[in-house]
Amino acid sequence: MSIELKLDRPSENTVTVSVNGDIDMSSSTKVRDILAPLFQENNKAIIVDLSGVSYIDSSGIATLVEGLQWSHSSQNKFRLVSLTPGVKDVFEIARLLTVFEVFDTKEQALAH
Amino acid sequence: MSQPIKLSIPSHPKYLGLIRKVLQELLNYHEVPDETARRLILCVDEACSNVIKHGYGGPCEEPIEATFHIDGDDFKVQIRDYGKQCDSSEIKPRCLDQIKPGGLGTHFINEIMDDVSYCTERAKGTLLTMVKKLKSELTSAQEKDKE
Repeated sequence: MSIELKLDRPSENTVTVSVNGDIDMSSSTKVRDILAPLFQENNKAIIVDLSGVSYIDSSGIATLVEGLQWSHSSQNKFRLVSLTPGVKDVFEIARLLTVFEVFDTKEQALAH
Repeated sequence: MSQPIKLSIPSHPKYLGLIRKVLQELLNYHEVPDETARRLILCVDEACSNVIKHGYGGPCEEPIEATFHIDGDDFKVQIRDYGKQCDSSEIKPRCLDQIKPGGLGTHFINEIMDDVSYCTERAKGTLLTMVKKLKSELTSAQEKDKE
């Protein structure tokens, strides 16, 4: 299954990345490639919408952990929204659910 | 299911979706609860990813053979490769206290599966066998349905 990535800028200094498809060993580098440059910009918040992702593996989790580390060093907020049950379960097994800022909807993440 | 289901894929990440879909269909057919099915699929995907990364040293066209067998309460999967043999004593999940990318695949497999073994007693490659007892999973899913 191919992955689709869509970038939006709903307000100044805020960027959302909507991911559609499975994040696995074949696609996680594409997610990484779109996220990495965003942390070089002067963004206040980078929001990743995972509502279109039903499957994520350890390479996908690793990519998002990298994003979290980049956010710490760049002072950008890094937020995840709309985790599907499958994705949420993998975060729970990895004991990472409380490590990220996770929101139910994109609107909540934008308003926070 | 008396006959195991066998599938061979080339050792390239683009085929991982295929193996996930086949396993999803098989688990649907056996009415394995969604959450259990997702976790079993994750383990198989991680095992195949490890073969691509470590066994064959990157994406290529070498064979990865998966055998799925549901026998009574047991879901048994075997992943056979012909790459670099692993040292099973070195395959250990990392400590999760440190938040860092990578190294979670083995943790997922050990956390989800009831029995995991690596056999390298062959001329080439490794045979990974993973077993999950489905009875407790099916019982808890049936109890959830009753609620």
